[in-house]
Amino acid sequence: MPADELTRICYVEDDEDIQRIVRMSLERIGKMTVEVVSDPLQAIDTIIAFKPQMVMLDWMMPGMDGPTLFRKMKATPETASLPAVFITAKASQKELDELRELGAAGTLSKPFTPKDLPSQLRAIWAALP
Amino acid sequence: METSPPTGGSPAATDQVAQALPPREGTDQRRVLADQVELLYRQSVQSIVATIVIGAIATFELWSEEYSDLVIFWWILTLFISALRFLLYQAWKQRTDQDHDKWLRWFAIGALATGANWGFAGSVFFPSHADEQQVFLAFLLAGMSSGGIPFFSAVWWVYGLYAAGIMLPFAYVLATFGNKLFTELALLIPLFYAVNVAVSVRLSQVFASGFRLRQAYGKLAEDYSTLNRQLEGQLEDLAKAHREVEESGRKLTLFVGASPIAVFEVDQDGTILEVNPAAENLFGLSVTESLGRSLPRTLIPDDEPTLNHAWWKDYVARHEPISGLRARVLRRDGIELIVDFSLTPLISHSGELLSIIVQGRDVTQQLESERLKKEFTSTLSHELRTPLTSIIGSLQLVNTGVMGDVDAELIELTQIAERNAERLLDLINDLLDIEKIESGKFTIYPEVLSLDELVKEALVLNGGFAERYQVRLQVLGTLPAVKVSADRKRALQVMTNLISNAAKFSPEGSTVDVSMDISNGVARVNVHDRGPGIPESFRGRIFGRFAQADMTATRHKGGSGLGLAICKRLIEMMAGRIGFDDREGGGTTFWFELDIIE
Repeated sequence: MPADELTRICYVEDDEDIQRIVRMSLERIGKMTVEVVSDPLQAIDTIIAFKPQMVMLDWMMPGMDGPTLFRKMKATPETASLPAVFITAKASQKELDELRELGAAGTLSKPFTPKDLPSQLRAIWAALP
Repeated sequence: METSPPTGGSPAATDQVAQALPPREGTDQRRVLADQVELLYRQSVQSIVATIVIGAIATFELWSEEYSDLVIFWWILTLFISALRFLLYQAWKQRTDQDHDKWLRWFAIGALATGANWGFAGSVFFPSHADEQQVFLAFLLAGMSSGGIPFFSAVWWVYGLYAAGIMLPFAYVLATFGNKLFTELALLIPLFYAVNVAVSVRLSQVFASGFRLRQAYGKLAEDYSTLNRQLEGQLEDLAKAHREVEESGRKLTLFVGASPIAVFEVDQDGTILEVNPAAENLFGLSVTESLGRSLPRTLIPDDEPTLNHAWWKDYVARHEPISGLRARVLRRDGIELIVDFSLTPLISHSGELLSIIVQGRDVTQQLESERLKKEFTSTLSHELRTPLTSIIGSLQLVNTGVMGDVDAELIELTQIAERNAERLLDLINDLLDIEKIESGKFTIYPEVLSLDELVKEALVLNGGFAERYQVRLQVLGTLPAVKVSADRKRALQVMTNLISNAAKFSPEGSTVDVSMDISNGVARVNVHDRGPGIPESFRGRIFGRFAQADMTATRHKGGSGLGLAICKRLIEMMAGRIGFDDREGGGTTFWFELDIIE
């Protein structure tokens, strides 16, 4: 379990409505600082600049999908050790298993519950080594 | 198509002849005897007539006043014996049996009687008559002895009896007459008898060999006609088989011709021997273009691993029937098709590969529509859930009050909106689940888990939903700690479905009770409600798709009508059972069972 409390999160998501809901949920309920990235191609730069404790990734995005971005993060020294949580509408267990194998810290399914989202993320954070 | 084989080839036919023709030795002797007896009887009429005529002449010649009684007696005796022999002849003609020995015995008695009658004439009239009549008698008796040879020699001993009947009494009379010449004559009579009998024996042998020849010829003719009959039968069978083969050939042509499946007949090298119209249409090759060309070289692209030239060589060595062989095929116009092939080798009785029937079904369209369907499902999953995520998320943020105080009536409306958005989401999830289950693409991930813990979790998760219907969830009795093998997420889905159904249909203020039983290594989870019960007419199809007892209830209570159908399939995929019973005191108990691991 990491020593720090989870307060800084970077969220990569192309859907603006969902961006706002997640931001409101995490900021208002979770009292966290949230940076949202719409374009996955710029995500790595933003993550390096923002220095979050954890990254939340959407699965299906135009330009680059979540798993590809995650692999790219793993290949980049500054982001390689960042824990990542996937939010996906793809509920197939096979795909969730694939994500775990990739090294994802956790998965949350869409639609999520904004009320519970901060506590779910903190639970995943607490389970990290 | 099956055709009955023609009955009997050439070796079988030989066997049949051997069986049809009985063993010959004994039967041939019987038949020769029958022929001998027949000859004797057929000639007996002439012999009777001759006896009567010669008897009449003798009566006339020997007539004298002194011995008239004796001559008349002899003449009557002659007629009497002749009449009896004639009656015997009539009886033989109308015989119904085949007892040739019996008829021969009776004939021999008749012959002996005839001979003895002449012997009687000789021995009685010779001493009593004058010299010239004695000479007449001697000649008469010699003539009668010799004349009997053709009539009786079919069986030599019959003649022997006849001639003995004549000569023995006459020889005795001559020997005892007291005249030296007559005594010498009496001594010659046995010699004469012996010579006559020897002739008769020789003649009977000639007759017998003639009869045997006749029998052999008859046998040959019989064999010949038997063979002919069998040959006719075989020809008939052959013609029938020919007709059947022709008929099945016509049917086969009809089937193959009208079949929508492409059919080729190819030889060992893959050279096309026959082709049906469907194959012409499918691959754009006419019959004349196809015949004689190599099927793998003509249709299969070089980079296709299945059914290409190398594959074909390997297959011919194995030559087993194969089906469901999917390969890319190049149509004549260059368009690539995906075809499912089945290969059926035709093997001769001796195990030799005669040819291979190749059937091909174009699945290009089918695969394309399957791909589109999959894409549609995936799109539905993503494109419908994404806006719902925003809708439900926004409403939840408002409804939880994190956005500050909102007007109570407004909250009521946003709560309605949230509930219905969730119903829509459930419906989409149910549709996706049932689609995946029914297309066989649904996989469950079983793990060993505590069923009692799972039940408790389900109760916590669904407490809020039940509250909405003003129904309380509670555990009935204790939940025994058992481990089962189940997919955690899907088992929770089943529990949620059963509990939410129970809550929806329970009267306000009542409780939904959840209990567990264990028996024979099986754990059963029961969800009891106090609802209206399941109508009789609905019980048979409650686990079917889009099952709703009362469509008005659906509108009031919500639900896709797929929930129980999904539950049943999920539980069955986890090797369990699901069902329901009426609850005592009203309501229903839905249950599912899973095998206990520990």
